[in-house]
Amino acid sequence: MTHKKKDFLAVILAGVSALLLISPLAMTGTAQARNIKVGIIDCYSGPAAVYGNDALNGFKLALEEINKQGVLGGKIEYTTRDTKFKVDIALNMAKELVMREEVDLLVGTINSAAALAVSKTIAKEQKIPFIVWISKDEKITGAEGHRYVFSTADNTAMGGTAGGVGLSKKPYKKYWIAGDDYAYGHAIADAAWRNLKALKPDVEKIGESWWKVGEPDLVPYLTSIMGAKPDAVIFCTGGASMTNTLKALKTTGMAAKIPSWIHTAIDHAVLKPLAAEGPEGVTGTIQYLFYYPETPENKAFVDSFQKAYGTPPGFPAFNAYLTAHFIAEAFKKAGKIDKEKFIDALEGLKVKNPVGGMVEMRACDHQAVYPMYFGTTKKVPQYDFVIATDITTLKGDEVLPTCDEITKSRGK
Amino acid sequence: MDAGHTITFAVIASHFLVGISRAMILFVVSSGLSFVLGVLRVPNVAHGSLYMLGAFVAHTIATYFGGGSVAFWFALIASPFVVALIGLVAERALFCHLYEREHLMLLLFTFALMLIFGDLVKIFWGADYRSLMAPDLLRGAVTIFSSPIPRYNLFLLIAGPIIAVALYLFSNNTLIGKIARAAAVDREMVGAIGINVSWVFAFAFVLGCFLAGLGGALVSPTVSVTLGMDHDIIIETFLIVTIGGLGNMWGAMVGSLIFGITQSFGVLFLPQFAIVFPYIAVVLVLMWRPRGILKSVW
Amino acid sequence: MATVDEKRKRILGYAAVVLFLLFLPILVPRFYIYILTVIFVTSILAMSLNLVAGHGGLFQFHHGVFYGIGAYTAALILAKTSLPPLVGFIAGPIAAAAAGLIIGLFCVRLSRLYFGMLQISLGSLVWAITFRWYDFTGGDDGIHGIPIPALLSSINRSYYFILTILVIVMILLYLILKSPFGGILQAIRDNPDRCAAVGINVRRHQLVAIVIATFFAGVAGVMFVVVEGTVFPDLMFWVLSLEIFIMCLLGGWFTFSGPILGAAIIVSLRTFAGVYTEYWTLILGIILILLIFFLPEGVMGFITEKMKGKEPEALRSTEKEVDQ
Repeated sequence: MTHKKKDFLAVILAGVSALLLISPLAMTGTAQARNIKVGIIDCYSGPAAVYGNDALNGFKLALEEINKQGVLGGKIEYTTRDTKFKVDIALNMAKELVMREEVDLLVGTINSAAALAVSKTIAKEQKIPFIVWISKDEKITGAEGHRYVFSTADNTAMGGTAGGVGLSKKPYKKYWIAGDDYAYGHAIADAAWRNLKALKPDVEKIGESWWKVGEPDLVPYLTSIMGAKPDAVIFCTGGASMTNTLKALKTTGMAAKIPSWIHTAIDHAVLKPLAAEGPEGVTGTIQYLFYYPETPENKAFVDSFQKAYGTPPGFPAFNAYLTAHFIAEAFKKAGKIDKEKFIDALEGLKVKNPVGGMVEMRACDHQAVYPMYFGTTKKVPQYDFVIATDITTLKGDEVLPTCDEITKSRGK
Repeated sequence: MDAGHTITFAVIASHFLVGISRAMILFVVSSGLSFVLGVLRVPNVAHGSLYMLGAFVAHTIATYFGGGSVAFWFALIASPFVVALIGLVAERALFCHLYEREHLMLLLFTFALMLIFGDLVKIFWGADYRSLMAPDLLRGAVTIFSSPIPRYNLFLLIAGPIIAVALYLFSNNTLIGKIARAAAVDREMVGAIGINVSWVFAFAFVLGCFLAGLGGALVSPTVSVTLGMDHDIIIETFLIVTIGGLGNMWGAMVGSLIFGITQSFGVLFLPQFAIVFPYIAVVLVLMWRPRGILKSVW
Repeated sequence: MATVDEKRKRILGYAAVVLFLLFLPILVPRFYIYILTVIFVTSILAMSLNLVAGHGGLFQFHHGVFYGIGAYTAALILAKTSLPPLVGFIAGPIAAAAAGLIIGLFCVRLSRLYFGMLQISLGSLVWAITFRWYDFTGGDDGIHGIPIPALLSSINRSYYFILTILVIVMILLYLILKSPFGGILQAIRDNPDRCAAVGINVRRHQLVAIVIATFFAGVAGVMFVVVEGTVFPDLMFWVLSLEIFIMCLLGGWFTFSGPILGAAIIVSLRTFAGVYTEYWTLILGIILILLIFFLPEGVMGFITEKMKGKEPEALRSTEKEVDQ
């Protein structure tokens, strides 16, 4: 090895270590009244990053408003960690935030396994409040719920129920169920089918198909479904797979022939990139649409979000915006920065819904309660991508399992 | 499970066609990997990243030129060249200095490249989902055997064999192709007759990148162009190359067909377990022929 | 060959490191103790892989599967049965070794890259089953909040426990490598044909090595459960297996303790670079490339070279010739 190379290496090593040593010093600001520290663990890489970023933007926007007045004489500050959609890294990062950064509470993540792992091994064990804001696993606030975990996300029970209730008003009888072969897909399918069957006992399931998550070519699945001629199809898919599903629905012409319902199909993060290729006639459910309801509150929220980040807010931004306000209001109500008091204050707390009205954090299961929208995609002149039309609103308590059901599921 | 539909000839035929069209994309990507494996003897784990890069570049080019049919065709042709250029830079700047080292160190290097490309794509393109539109000619579906087959899949059915034949002619009828093939079989010999082996390696690596980029560009109209595409394809292509015979281009074709068809029929007969079919196919093939189906250069 | 004096020096060196580690929890904040524990677990895993990969010359490309099997076995026994925890701790490595035997039986018939690819296929089958079998393995959600015996549940306790296990594993692996069996294994790596020619049963030796290595991977899996109290299918995904392989290569793959260094580097880089930037894989990639260029013998190789003051033996030169 030459001297030149060695010197170069030494400089690099010195530089890196200096950076590692200095930056914590630079980061510890000069806050007098103590700030509230929120630790965010979420996925900012891979296909899930689009949701992680949207949530973070919603959170930042809310903090800008909140920090104008401050909370308990201080501000809410946050720090983020990228989990790369991996459970072990999420645990490392969450522990780092709790032990080293000494955050007051944890917030995150899109990955259900990571959310459950953090909830049960860190939040519960070390008594740190943890608010889940994107992951839709109903177990988080359902069977596996406990004092230290909260959710502002719509879970699979809500999504599935909304779909089941919505579909029960349609005339279809013969159903096919298809989706991503993982917990999310199956949970949505179960909830939707259970509710649909309860409300409309004469429906019949003629078949199921499940593909691996991220399956690039869904055409063979769709052709075999079309061959079976169901009246309607329940698709249980999300994220990047959703785009593949919608594309395949369009190219095979299935969207025009057989009606289908997909939870979150009317999410504009999915429909916007498809532009004119987005299929019409697909029904979906979601808790937030930037164009509906057309209240002044919603318009103001969308305008300020659009101004700050260049895109309209999606459902993760909505969840995160609520999360920020829940945090601020709960600390105000608690009167001091104390984890147990914070939890007591958060139970049953109501904050303003950015579209108008209030959202409650249900005390019995720590699940945020808000309405779901059920609508069908259609081309409209105002937008160059398809949007949801013909929207029905399902009230929050219509789509959530009752407190009794939650107690029962936790009891076993 | 409760397959409430009858499996007719029409259904089987359509599954077969779609399975083969999927195999064509796998072939394009895995033939590139096979080339690099054959000549450089490097399991290039960054190959998936180059495939992802191909899709993103194709999207950017098509969007830049207005997103019409002409833009699509131009993107399809230009994107592989852009990826090949990126490959050339990485090879000449870094990779070529490592050929004398033990080749598992080269694996370490390609792993580092995979990490870097993954984040660079995120820095340049961001996290949003993207979607490329197929040209008007290839949009929608035609009905064959009474079930709809997307036109784009038919296009892939035609494009795949054309690319295979072009590759075959290229490696058999051009000097550089012949040298690369010779280097794959016996690299000492090629060095001994005074050919600069380093440039032969560079050529093989760049051709591999070109094919990865072409695969990415070809797949982009059927899927969502997104981060993480690299992880989806890399293991599949490695397995394809192995069962086909390392370094053998027609082997990549055979392997891709096995993969595409088992997957497609797995869906038809046992959808619950479709996820495991290709793996079982690989296990069976390697039990039957431990060095791949066709002659391997290793 | 090391002289007696050098040997004593080396043992003294290891003893000093262990002594230092024993007192560390008094000195540093508990987060660093936790990360060290994670490094210990990863080290056991990487060292177990290096037994077959570095010293045995096998392309063990899906070692993570055995780690996962060890972890899942322990987790299922701890979470779903009322058997004493010790049963789970012992069953984990045994289940991993049993899986190693079965998968190994298929794989040793093949050589080099084919061996690796067959292992990836078989391992992916195990992964797919774990991922799908909701009632038994918890599917892709995994199993969380596994009850860990109180004796091991605090950060300091698990630190001492896993440090002890790591030291025991290191001693055992050292003894195995220095045994006649270890000698034959390395001879097979360097020249399988010659070994076969002198009457050594190459496949049987390789199979035994795989069973030993997968047993220790199972130990690492159980330790993972002790630290994190959770299991999930990612433990068996090929990405993790590739990462372990990279740790061995990076640390120095013909050295004994190189994998520990590789594990320490990867774990601490991803933890501490992750604090400053979400682009930490980019940083990791760049640092890897720098290391490849400036420390060609791996980090451990570089350190040994510095300590000896001379070039390490060119073990590598034999490697290229043997692959056919």
